[in-house]
Amino acid sequence: MQAFDQIQELWQKHEVEVKVSADEVLQQAKKDINGIKLKSALNILGMLISFFAIAGVWLFYEYQSWTTHAGFIIFLLAILSTTIILYRDYRLISKSDFTVHPKEFLSRLKTYQLNRYKLYNQMYWLYTMALSLGFIFTFLEMLPKLSSIQKALAIGLTFLWILFCSTILRKAVIKREKERISLLIEKFERISGQFSA
Amino acid sequence: MEQKDKLFKEIFDSNSKKIFHLCYGYSGDTDVANDLLQETFLKVWQNLDKFRNKSLISTWIYRIAVNTCLTYLRSEKRQAKDELTDNIIENRVEEFSEKNEQIALLYKCISKLEENDRLIITMVLDELPYHEIADISGISEGNLRVKIHRIKQKLTELYNQYASV
Repeated sequence: MQAFDQIQELWQKHEVEVKVSADEVLQQAKKDINGIKLKSALNILGMLISFFAIAGVWLFYEYQSWTTHAGFIIFLLAILSTTIILYRDYRLISKSDFTVHPKEFLSRLKTYQLNRYKLYNQMYWLYTMALSLGFIFTFLEMLPKLSSIQKALAIGLTFLWILFCSTILRKAVIKREKERISLLIEKFERISGQFSA
Repeated sequence: MEQKDKLFKEIFDSNSKKIFHLCYGYSGDTDVANDLLQETFLKVWQNLDKFRNKSLISTWIYRIAVNTCLTYLRSEKRQAKDELTDNIIENRVEEFSEKNEQIALLYKCISKLEENDRLIITMVLDELPYHEIADISGISEGNLRVKIHRIKQKLTELYNQYASV
């Protein structure tokens, strides 16, 4: 039989080790945000690579029909405008620091979440329509040069790729990002909550 | 800002161990305790200029930590994790049973107490004066003494019951 005093002695004997320092505590809050920032930056980088790759293909080859040029211009405009929107969102979360201005940061994070939601919904369909239009225009010159099987493959694969991106991939990305940002908002609201009430 | 940094570091160094112990006693899990410690000190950092010296800074931090612990596991998203607490403790018991069975058992018994009781007994075990615990938990000192007596009895009973198994 143990008495409470012995239990207390046992508790006090148990040395706990705090593995984080004061600096790390503040850095940790930034680390969560840096993950989202990095993802956003990679997204922009991916769009820029696509932009230059498509611009390269447009400039490198000689096209006869005006429809092909129109198709490439549509591609590039769609990618460029989406990249500008992505960059605007990136600036939204990269300009503010939670440890310095918590309220401002929280409101920016909420705006970011809303913007991303719009991007993956209304904006996404506009983007898909622009790309589809771009494909139709470029195919007008390119398809007649291909055999029937190649034609079927080009149209089929393009259609399937757009379908995959607009359905399965889009839904998975929306879900994952929503959960991630919501958890951060919840955490930061909890941290700010005790003193704002 | 540099002065705030320096002050924060001093406060962190002199209080983090006790706060971590409180969080660990409450959650029974190192990772959760680290999260709770981090949230507590983020709140301390952000509200340092609001601290008015009406109480000891350690009491103020304890109050923040207690609130953090209670809201952390109660938040909707943490429900699943809350249910896991028992499992985590069970696993930890096995994990350090060879090293120190008695300590593992103590954490297991603390986890069997009510949420508020867990926090109060942790502060009692850390020998915080009763008037400070009363201040932190918002209970009158008279009621707190009765409550502590009851929790001590319950914890001792639980400990002896599990120890004899």
